[in-house]
Amino acid sequence: MEKIILLAKANFKKNKGTSIGLLLLIMLATMIIGIALLTFTDAYPTSRTEAERLNAGDGFIFISNNLTGLDDETIGELMEDSVDHYEIFHCMGYNNISLPFGDGELSETVVMYDSRIFEDGKGGFKSDKNAAAIDRIEVVVEDTSITENYLYLPYQFYTGGGVKLGDDYTFEFHGDKRTLKVRGFLNSTYFGCNNNGVYVLILDDDNYATISERDEAFAERVVVNYILKDGVKDSKFIITLQNDILDVNPHAIVSNNNIKTAIGNRSFISLIIAISLLVVIFIMMIVIVMMLASCISNYVRENMKTIGALKAIGYTSSNIRASLICLFGFIAVIGSVLGICFSYVFMPIIAKIVVGQMGLPYVVKFSLFGTVISVGSVVLFIFALTGISTAIIKKIEPIVALRNGMESHNYKKNRVSLESSVLGLDVSLAMKTLFTNMKQNVISFMVIGFCVFICVIGLLMYENFNRNPKVGILTFETSSGILAVDIETKDVAIEYLEGCENVSNIRNMIQMFLNYNDEETLVTYVLDNVENMNNKEVCYKGRLPKYDNEVAVSGMFANNYGMKIGDEIELKYGSNTYKYLITGYIQTCNNYGREALLSEEACNHLLDENTVGAYLWFDCSDKSQVNDILNTFADEHGSHVISTMNFDEILDANMTTFKGIASLMLIMISTISAAIIMLVLYLLVKALIYSKRRDYGIYKALGYTSRSLMLQTALSFMPAIILSVIVFSFVSYFGANPYMSNIMVMFGLMKCTFNIPIPGVIIIGVVMTILAFLFTYINARKIKDIEPINLLVEE
Amino acid sequence: MKTIIETQKLCKTFSNGGLQQHVLRNIDLEIYEGDFTVIMGASGAGKSTLLYALSGMDKPTLGKVIVGDSDITKMNTDELALFRRSNCGFVFQQIYLVDSMSILDNVLSAGLLVNKDRKAVTAKAKEILKAVDIEEHLWKKFPTQISGGEAQRVGIARALINSPKIVFADEPTGALNSKTGRDVLDALTEFNNKGQSIVMVTHDIVSARRGSRVLYVKDGEIAGVCELGKYVPDDKERHSKLSDFLVSMGW
Repeated sequence: MEKIILLAKANFKKNKGTSIGLLLLIMLATMIIGIALLTFTDAYPTSRTEAERLNAGDGFIFISNNLTGLDDETIGELMEDSVDHYEIFHCMGYNNISLPFGDGELSETVVMYDSRIFEDGKGGFKSDKNAAAIDRIEVVVEDTSITENYLYLPYQFYTGGGVKLGDDYTFEFHGDKRTLKVRGFLNSTYFGCNNNGVYVLILDDDNYATISERDEAFAERVVVNYILKDGVKDSKFIITLQNDILDVNPHAIVSNNNIKTAIGNRSFISLIIAISLLVVIFIMMIVIVMMLASCISNYVRENMKTIGALKAIGYTSSNIRASLICLFGFIAVIGSVLGICFSYVFMPIIAKIVVGQMGLPYVVKFSLFGTVISVGSVVLFIFALTGISTAIIKKIEPIVALRNGMESHNYKKNRVSLESSVLGLDVSLAMKTLFTNMKQNVISFMVIGFCVFICVIGLLMYENFNRNPKVGILTFETSSGILAVDIETKDVAIEYLEGCENVSNIRNMIQMFLNYNDEETLVTYVLDNVENMNNKEVCYKGRLPKYDNEVAVSGMFANNYGMKIGDEIELKYGSNTYKYLITGYIQTCNNYGREALLSEEACNHLLDENTVGAYLWFDCSDKSQVNDILNTFADEHGSHVISTMNFDEILDANMTTFKGIASLMLIMISTISAAIIMLVLYLLVKALIYSKRRDYGIYKALGYTSRSLMLQTALSFMPAIILSVIVFSFVSYFGANPYMSNIMVMFGLMKCTFNIPIPGVIIIGVVMTILAFLFTYINARKIKDIEPINLLVEE
Repeated sequence: MKTIIETQKLCKTFSNGGLQQHVLRNIDLEIYEGDFTVIMGASGAGKSTLLYALSGMDKPTLGKVIVGDSDITKMNTDELALFRRSNCGFVFQQIYLVDSMSILDNVLSAGLLVNKDRKAVTAKAKEILKAVDIEEHLWKKFPTQISGGEAQRVGIARALINSPKIVFADEPTGALNSKTGRDVLDALTEFNNKGQSIVMVTHDIVSARRGSRVLYVKDGEIAGVCELGKYVPDDKERHSKLSDFLVSMGW
């Protein structure tokens, strides 16, 4: 054993550069595996684990608009057959309140509680004070020195919205503008993330009392949290309950969310990021594995003479192999331990991307599973790889090894003949090197190609979630502004908008929940003029509905139930049902592919639209006028205005988190790609220089300068790199969308075409080519150390 | 005769584990244009070290090596490379052709460094290859596909392609059998007869006979010089003069 360790030490000393390069690669590999495992086993499931910790139950229903007849006892009776446990809360609720968030404003439904919520689990409005708390709302961080005029915001405002403790937070609703100090941030399963459409605000008692006294008549809401009995299907329960509630009060509006959808909505972007990360990691692992295999086999080749000498003096093949396995095992252990440590160092950055946007508190914890699997798999892999790569040693005769190995190039063709080449001397010699080192070309082709692909994915995410957000897949419809008014003011509002300069395309679009077959609830958009929709992209197959017997449904929903365009579907609202003809498939990344689109006339078969308010969407050619248009009407009509929304500002706010993530992803992917290219080229150039050191010595003796040889070396890599950049730019340009589509289909997007800016792809290719050239040229500076005299003295 | 290389107080010292070994000691020497200078000496005497110092392949510890008007000891690595490119040709004992290049390309790779006129360089390379008896059918072969003697003659052609001021040959027949060695020496002699200056290191008396001037290196110094004049085959008097000189040097 002692002699094996001695040999391993000698090998390390002799090959410090390669050993350190390998150590870095192993470190990188373990770090990446560690991050991937932590992301998938710890960070990504946070929305689920937090929901379990907060006892989120199976879902909640939200009753608004008109609560007549719907007292706690009645609601309890309606649910008792299906529900094991429930809690009813009365709170204030407002639809579409504009909340400053990041660079803009979010428009969300808001439920408001007062400080009593902390006393008995869910606040002073809880009907049954003895009930165990379902869906606890927890304070993540607070400043208790703030004692008056304060509010608590969802934690997402801290992680993604740029709001800090102690900030003055101003928001406006129903003509009331309030500025309150931020006392703390909250963790809530259903009301903590914009993806779920409802936020919770907790106000100090005085402010809450003022608001509730003033708005109770129209803003009181009922929230019911429930845990279903075993075997009860949530969708069926909701539909039945909804119908029962409408039977009691047809003017009540019931909306709901279940735990599965809430977690899914919340982790929507996280899943995209996590899966993208996994693909990136998978590609990187392929690169790293290729490089490790190449490094170890080069290592054996480079040390052929030493192996021959050792065999000649009596070392057995097993001794030599054991020493190499010992050396690489040692490097693997050190590299993987360092790598796993670095994965914990970098994990908070990844966690910020994956968890931060969900608005959940998350601290990176030590994962024994992740650590053992990462380190163990890398070490075992290296042992196996070394074992396989060194098997050749058994076949090497000492005399063959002493003659520098078994390899003897069998040159059959004089590529790039200097006599006839039209290229310059340096380029011609570089091309000769290129043809004699095909392994280097294949590796650099693949490595650069993979890096181009992942950079294009990063670019795609940046372009479509940051630079030019692809609004069409994020929202159902786009406009300049939305003016929501009660039904009495609808005509006045339309007349007002029609009279405004620069305003066009006014259309009324409301949202309702229709049921299918008592099994599914479809979020249904009702438009008075479907043809005027801006977002035509929403219908990806067939056409939008025109007549009163037509409907467009989500492609994902249609697929699940085997429905085709032209089929009939019976939809239900309360006790009303109607059969519609499916004219097309629609898609957005909201509501998990459970959406439908109807014209106003078609909707009238199920619901008298004149019983609900109007949501007037309008376009405005001068965006700077939108706020004035909305504010002027709101000032004149006060409480008749349900909400006003500047679409661009809301979009900006909604996109704040996405934008940050997209930028961070692009930076991270670019940095990792550059690091991989640098490391891989370092090892390839090093191996090339080692194998050609004799030739370089001859060239130098003939009068070639170091710079000229460095240039030749760098140029010899360029054809494979340039070819790879060209090929993979095309592959990425045409392959990135199908790749992303495979991910997006999980969210109901059956067919999506993201924009990939061609100049961006060209920039990636050019930058990568230049970087690769510079890395190669700089790494080739080792040629400077080759002295022609050493060539002569060695022999 | 015109001096093409001059050394002044040339010293070369190697350090090894704190021990200093003085391989060349204060050598003052002149190499003349058109001469076939042979450097002889026992193993370890410093003859190869002297050759490398003269050719700019290695830097001396002290002293000067003046070629024309330039002191090449003051040049950096790249300047030395440029100097060697246009002033020196090398013939090595181990031949050192680039295995991945054809015979013709090996010669062109040196020629195109100095002259960018591809056609002219190719024509000259072919002419020289013919002159060293490398037949045309071998030009496209690779070094591993020809004999050692042929490869060494390709080495000579490569050394001569740029019409260097001087050709340095380090034991050019050391790795060859007597027949192929003689062919190589014939080629060198022929070019010397045409005016090419040659400096050759050898420990072989048969090879040394080709020289017009023989320097004997002993303990890092030039111990003696033997002027033989132009090589004439089977000149017994010339041979015995060299033998006597070598005996007097303790060879």
